Amino acid sequence: MEKTRVFIGLLGTDQHELGAVAVSRILRDAGFEVVYGGRFNIPEGIVKTAVEEDVDVIGLSCHSWEYLHYAPRLLELLKERNLKIPVMVGGSVITPGDTRDLRSMGVAAAFGPSATPEEIVGAIHRIAKKARSHKD
Amino acid sequence: MEQQYTRSRIPLKPFYAREDAEHSRDPLKLPPPGQYPFTRGIRARAGWTWIHRELSGQGDPITSNRQLRYLIDKGQMGIDVIGDSPTQAYLDPDHPLARNAIGTQGVSLCCLQDYRDLYRDLPLVSITVSNSLPPVVAIAALYVVARENGVHPEDLRGSLVQAPFFAEDCGYAVNMPFDLRLRLTCDAIAFCAEKMPKFHAFLEDTYFPSEAGLDPVEEMARGFVEIRHVVRELLKRGLPIDSFAPRIAILVNCGMDFFEEIAKIRATRRLFARMMKEEFGAEDPRSMAVVITCHTSGLSLTAQQPVNNIVRGAIQTLALALAGVQAIEISAFDEAYRTPTPESHLVGLRTQQVVQLETGATKVLDPLGGSYFLESLTDETERRIREMVHEIESKGDPGELSDRGWFKAFFEEVMARYARRIAEGEVQKVGLNCHQIPEEEDTLLKDIAQTKIEPYWDRIEAVRSFKERRNKEHVASSLRLCRKAAESPGENLMFSTIEALEAGATASEIAGMFRLAYSVPYDPHGFEGPPF
Repeated sequence: MEKTRVFIGLLGTDQHELGAVAVSRILRDAGFEVVYGGRFNIPEGIVKTAVEEDVDVIGLSCHSWEYLHYAPRLLELLKERNLKIPVMVGGSVITPGDTRDLRSMGVAAAFGPSATPEEIVGAIHRIAKKARSHKD
Repeated sequence: MEQQYTRSRIPLKPFYAREDAEHSRDPLKLPPPGQYPFTRGIRARAGWTWIHRELSGQGDPITSNRQLRYLIDKGQMGIDVIGDSPTQAYLDPDHPLARNAIGTQGVSLCCLQDYRDLYRDLPLVSITVSNSLPPVVAIAALYVVARENGVHPEDLRGSLVQAPFFAEDCGYAVNMPFDLRLRLTCDAIAFCAEKMPKFHAFLEDTYFPSEAGLDPVEEMARGFVEIRHVVRELLKRGLPIDSFAPRIAILVNCGMDFFEEIAKIRATRRLFARMMKEEFGAEDPRSMAVVITCHTSGLSLTAQQPVNNIVRGAIQTLALALAGVQAIEISAFDEAYRTPTPESHLVGLRTQQVVQLETGATKVLDPLGGSYFLESLTDETERRIREMVHEIESKGDPGELSDRGWFKAFFEEVMARYARRIAEGEVQKVGLNCHQIPEEEDTLLKDIAQTKIEPYWDRIEAVRSFKERRNKEHVASSLRLCRKAAESPGENLMFSTIEALEAGATASEIAGMFRLAYSVPYDPHGFEGPPF
């Protein structure tokens, strides 16, 4: 079976990269293929990369509130283009309240600073599997 | 008993005795405070104080000005302003990438008028102005605003963070080639050596790279590599060492390993003094006595149970008082979530005041000096930093290493290492990986910490309309001058920057013209071209 491909990137001018680098490492160790988007991404670019790289899951690492504005736009773009790529959001600024808001907005999973590597890896497996079953 | 280590993996003995510290055998190793090599402090004044300040900046310049006045009113002795993430990256608020970050994690500054609003009615002579802002533009603007307000630039005290090596890799990338970054740093230092001689134009920042998870030895080794490279570059330009070395300062991190952080600062002073005297031939004792300021570690704080961060800040401040630093900023208790609220700002400032006024820690200089353990740890830390500097420098020219991504690869490795140590419990953090409480019980101060700020979208229109109203011909010619100056290797770019700011040019535009001169795109993100 092909490896699950996960995009990991930061949004806008958020430059706190520690979380993104750490999560990428965790995912690679867990057997995922990471398409590392680094800093300075906006939704339009992420959708383009996601299509070109055929990613299964889009992961956004957030250490600024820019995600509050970019995440809805990303979901909207994916919907417009009829792309069923699940979006995950994680980062130090994500509170339990934000997690609920993100989920109800259509984000497949959201993690705050207390999330363990096992939780993140488990969630991506679940989400990717679900997305694949929709694709097939 | 299990072998114990410091955070830098220095093995520790169960206890320390006379024979463990070099100074016990050689009294010359530990002269009094205020004397070379300054291990015990750069000054010999009892009842001293450090500069109390808290990192500030939020929203537009007028909002930030209110914030600064509030803090000065509460007893702050200096200011430290940080730009929002677009400002730090030389992106004006009307840049498409900037819009959702305007003023949320610092203040939005892009033109001279912004700096006028930021500094309005502040006592620029009696406080120190220490900024974490794009170097050349921020110093040029401070110079102009001071003069406009009748303050002589030669009386200005303060500092500006310079990080030509590492900002690109793990802080705020400005998307400029290394040669240009280094030149901007050196131009600002050379300019201040002449025009603002009391101002520390070279504040070496080891804080933010170490927030990637570096240990104290790794932090200072990289700091020294950067300092040494910048010093060599300035000497190559023909500047005498004693013309600029007295105004080098170091902004260090302070985590929770109490004794190691104190040892790190003492070792740094000694290494710096010896390096300046023995290697760079400094003769002025002020060139050998390095000012050390500190921002306490944001990474040491937790999003869980934020009230515990106040405790961490207090312990770190005590360590710094015992180490004898010249200025302190405490990472606020809400650091994990946001830039400081007025509440957390005040707690930070009050923490400093409590340590200063109530503990008696500053009544005696270097009160821990002579401790078998601390002196041994200082010696060992010094040795390890020196060895690591040599090891890095032996790999090649540090500038080339930076362009090749050698440092970036190192930082990524460290980030992953840190995450692993937390996950595996090797580093214990109360509330994060031990002694956790359920989220529904974790409420104390959470409401304050989690209050969000909307981006200051009004700035987009305000800056657009400012750009429309400018004398465009004047701006265009000043920007052409910036590019021309950058194309001439010997020119100091401070002068064309001052002219451009006075003509109404913005940070984005000035940086863009510099980039063009170095054959990189005007806008690294590909959205904009030169305006004229």
